[in-house]
Parts: sequence; structure tokens; C-alpha cells
Amino acid sequence: MTRPVLSRLGATAFVALLGAAPVLALATNAHAAGKPPYQTTRKNSGTPNSSQVVTNSQGQVISYGNRAITYANPSPALAQLGRALFLENCATCHGTEANGVPASGTAGAYPDLVGLGTATIDFWVESGRMPAANPRAVEAVRRVPRLTHDQALAIAAWINSLSPAYPAIPTVHLQGANVSDGATLFALNCAACHTIEGTGDALAFSTFSPSMRHVPATQVAEAIRTGPGNMPRFTGNLSDFQVRDIVKYVTTEIEHPRNPGGFGLGGLGPVAEGFVGLALGVGLLALVGFWVGERQ
Amino acid sequence: MKPDEQREPVHLRGLSADDPHLQPASAHPERAEAVIAVTLFLGLLGVAGFGACYWVNAAPWTLGATLGGGLTFLGIGMAAWGKYLMPRGPFVEERHSLAATDEDRDALAGAIVQRGGTLLKRRKLIGGLLGGGLGVFSVVAIFPLLRSLGPLPKGTLFHTDWKKGSYVVDQTGRRVSVGDLAVGSVMTVYPEGAQDTDRGQAVDATVLVRLSNEDFTTQRGRETWAPMGYVAYSKICTHLGCPVGLYEQQLQLLVCPCHQSMFNVTNGAIPQFGPAPRPLPQLPMYIDASGFLRSQRGYDQPIGPGFWERS
Repeated sequence: MTRPVLSRLGATAFVALLGAAPVLALATNAHAAGKPPYQTTRKNSGTPNSSQVVTNSQGQVISYGNRAITYANPSPALAQLGRALFLENCATCHGTEANGVPASGTAGAYPDLVGLGTATIDFWVESGRMPAANPRAVEAVRRVPRLTHDQALAIAAWINSLSPAYPAIPTVHLQGANVSDGATLFALNCAACHTIEGTGDALAFSTFSPSMRHVPATQVAEAIRTGPGNMPRFTGNLSDFQVRDIVKYVTTEIEHPRNPGGFGLGGLGPVAEGFVGLALGVGLLALVGFWVGERQ
Repeated sequence: MKPDEQREPVHLRGLSADDPHLQPASAHPERAEAVIAVTLFLGLLGVAGFGACYWVNAAPWTLGATLGGGLTFLGIGMAAWGKYLMPRGPFVEERHSLAATDEDRDALAGAIVQRGGTLLKRRKLIGGLLGGGLGVFSVVAIFPLLRSLGPLPKGTLFHTDWKKGSYVVDQTGRRVSVGDLAVGSVMTVYPEGAQDTDRGQAVDATVLVRLSNEDFTTQRGRETWAPMGYVAYSKICTHLGCPVGLYEQQLQLLVCPCHQSMFNVTNGAIPQFGPAPRPLPQLPMYIDASGFLRSQRGYDQPIGPGFWERS
């Protein structure tokens, strides 16, 4: 989805009128809330610079981005619905003000959500990780989402209204993405934990990196930009264009592995492959041996 | 027909031609022969087809199919021949004694001691030359171990390409500035100029983690090493040199994928689990006037796994 030239021109003119004031105000606001601000100087890194931002008449950021990724906040009008949904589904753990509850389990088990930005909230809710199946689990697992897309947007809108922050929810424009660059960037930045096949693997202390298969493009971009759970977040070190390449690679090559050798065996690596090699290869050899050696 | 176990093993020598032990194993030898003939014929076709495919540069899969199929059929034919058409047996044949007689052994020993001694005394020149040659060779044989195993590593094991004031760059050579990483971000960095060299990948690779928005102290004495929360550790595991690339930002651990060594990034990468014997060396950073990240100096200790000369 590329926005028409006219609307882009209009947006630029509008921003020129308003200046960068709202952006600065937002940044100050986030800082005042005691949150680490998103300190990135690089353009195209999930945070807006003033020439990209589209705001509404109240000075609230509607969207920003470029032809690789457009980041958009859900309409602030959804906030009231979002608050009701939050109280119903999330407040038990995160508190009625979304500022977290001291947990009697692991440190940070029920975190403060204020000032995290809409992409973070959208990722956790739309991937089905929240509301959590087991709030005391070491790591929330992906499952069928309990809330709809619109409900997730509403909750994100309400939490963002408490203390606006970045990044907003990304829409990745995959036309023109470079799969080859995406593969290189995936190997450099993602494969260490998610494995080169994207199947995920065990990490320290009962944590694990999830599989990258069947993950929608938006959630891949959200995870890269926000760093959910133990995953580091990638901001200034990956441009929007590079994130687009990675998303393209994940949603095509990781999603549909080619397996030129015939059998992928789940892409689990030497254990699965060795097992099949032993069971089939050695087993077959043993059967042949029995046939040759057997005499009547 | 009696199964193998119930038939008496016999000596092959002296068996009459119609002895049941000499009959083919198959009850219908002519049928077995027909089957074997078909199998061997298929094998012949296969290997001949391989030759033809090779000759005309056919697709690789045809080479594999004809060669694999041909050899498989030949093998099956051979195994079936041995199994169904060879004499049924079982036969026994006792092995003769392998030892030489006592007289032979005594004679040999005497010959070596007496005649050998006489001969050596009579041929002092060439005996000495032979001994000298072998002696010199035994010394010279050590030489390749000293030189042909490649150049001595000298100081390269002790030092990386990180120098005083080295710019921190990513794998494309782009300089990293203070605004590039948000808290919780990680990237692999190199000293400028080494990012696309083998040595850069193997030795200089460094993990840059942003832990905070303020100066971060990992250990006493390292108060200035992590300005604005930018902490840098060698990416080369102190166990066996794997790239320690797995950063878990909530646990604040760097995990080595090879043997699950875990290093705590907040306290100077002290190993928390796994076989790694030492912390990952920390690289002292500073931020220059233009906002670029640079190294105060190189690593204060050899990076990577231990070696003999490492103190």
C-alpha cells in the first residue's frame, strides 16, 4: 500500500505548518513518565523524524514512515472501548492503570505497560500471548488470539493515550523487498537464537526462542522493533528498508522452506537428521545383511 | 532339506560329487538362475546406461539413477548367486599351525647374530654411512614441525585490531553513533577497517549491548568503560571460540550457542553457567565529540579460548 502522492504532499505541508512541536512534546512526555526514551538518531528506524509525521488536529500522531514501512497508531477514539477491554482482560495482572503489579513470582512478571507504544501492545495481544494462558509461566506462548484485531487496536489506543510513545503499529510494504539481503540480515541478527531455519530453539533458564513459521508480516516487524520478552530490540541498527527485507525473507523463505535435499525433517538440525540417518540408513543395511547372510 | 544347523559340517576334501553338501542351496536352481540372470542383466543395462549418460552429458540425476541402479542390481545378483546357487555346505577346513619349527627359528637367530655381525665388521664404511644417514634423518625429521606448520602466531593471539580510538562500525562499515541503539538493543561491531576481513570476523568481533541511558559500571575500576550504557564484550567465547551471539535482554545474559555458556552482561560477563572458564573480556568505550562510539584502547587481555602461553 503506497499512499498517493497528493496525500503525502498534503501531509508534508501540514507538518510544515505544525512544525516538530508535537513530536518533541511526545518525547518529553515519555521521558517525564520515567520511561527510557527511544533514543535513536538514525532515520527510518521505527521512530519518526519530523518530516515523516502525520498528526491530527489535536496534535496526536496518526502515522509516520516511508515506502518500506508505514507506522500508524489506532484512532484515539478507540481508547474508551480499549479501557473497558483492558479492565476486563488485562487489569487482573497489569493493574487498572496499566502500570503493573508487583509480582509474587519472577521479577517483572506483571510489567508496567505505560509508555511502551502501540506496536508492543498489538504484538502481545494479536499473537495470542496475552491475555496469558498461564501468567506464571516463564515465557508466554503464541496461540490463537483471544481478542480480535479491532479489540487489540482499542487496548493499544487506550494504553498509548496514557503516555504516547513509539513505535506505532507497522505496516510492511513488501513490494520491492530484497529477499537476498533479508537472508543475510536474518543470518546476522536473528539466526543466533531463532536458528538459520527459523524453527526456534531452547535458551537459558527455560526460556526459548519461538518458531518464525506462520508469523504475520506485521508481527515480525513489531517483534524486531519492540523486542518482546527476552528478544533484544532492533532500532537504529536496522533501517526500515532492512526490516522490510527481513520480513520478506521470513514470510517467504522461512515460511515455505525449499528443502532441496528432499526432506526438511522440521529443520531441527543434526539430532533429527542423525536419527533418521541411523534408523533408515543403518536399519536398511542391517536388513540387507540379514538377507545376504541367511542360509537354508 | 535340512536346515544348516542340523546338517553335519564335513571336510570338503574327499567328498563325492553327489554328496548333498555339494548341492546348490536352492531347491530350484534353474529358477534361481533365471532370476539372477535377469538381475545381472538389469545391472549390466544400468552401468552401460551410466556410460551412455556420461558420454552425452545427460542430467546429473540420470547419472545417479543409472550408476546407483546398475550397481545395486549387480550387487543383488552377486548376493543371490552366493545365497542360492553355491554349494550348500557347511564345510570345515582346519587351519594348519602357523608357527615355524624350533630348528628353523634357532637357525634364523644364529644366522642373524653370527653372519650379521661378521658382515657389519667387514663393511664398516657403508655400515657407518647407513647409521649416520639414519641418525641425521631422525634429527632433520623434526624440522618440518618447526617451520612448515605455518608461521608462529607471535603476538597475534594476544592482541586484536582494537586500538586506542578505533571507530566502532557495523558489518557494512557504518560508524555507530550514540543514538543508534535503544536500551535493550544489541549489535555485532568491529574496529573500523576490520569488518570485512577474516581476522575481523574471527578475532575482533565484539558484541555491543545498550543496557541503560546512563554510564554503566560492570565492575569496580570500569566506571568509564560503558558510556551512556553502551557495554562492549568480545564475541569470541572463552571456552572454544564460538560466537556468543544470543542476547537475552530480560535475563541480561549472553548465551553461547555451542555449549550453553552464559555470561552476565551486567557484572562484566562473569560466566554464570556452562563450561566457559573466564569472563568475556570487556572493551572500554568512549563517545567522541561527534557522538561516535570509539574504543579507549584494545582489550586488556587475550580474547577467546585459552592457549599455552596465556598467563
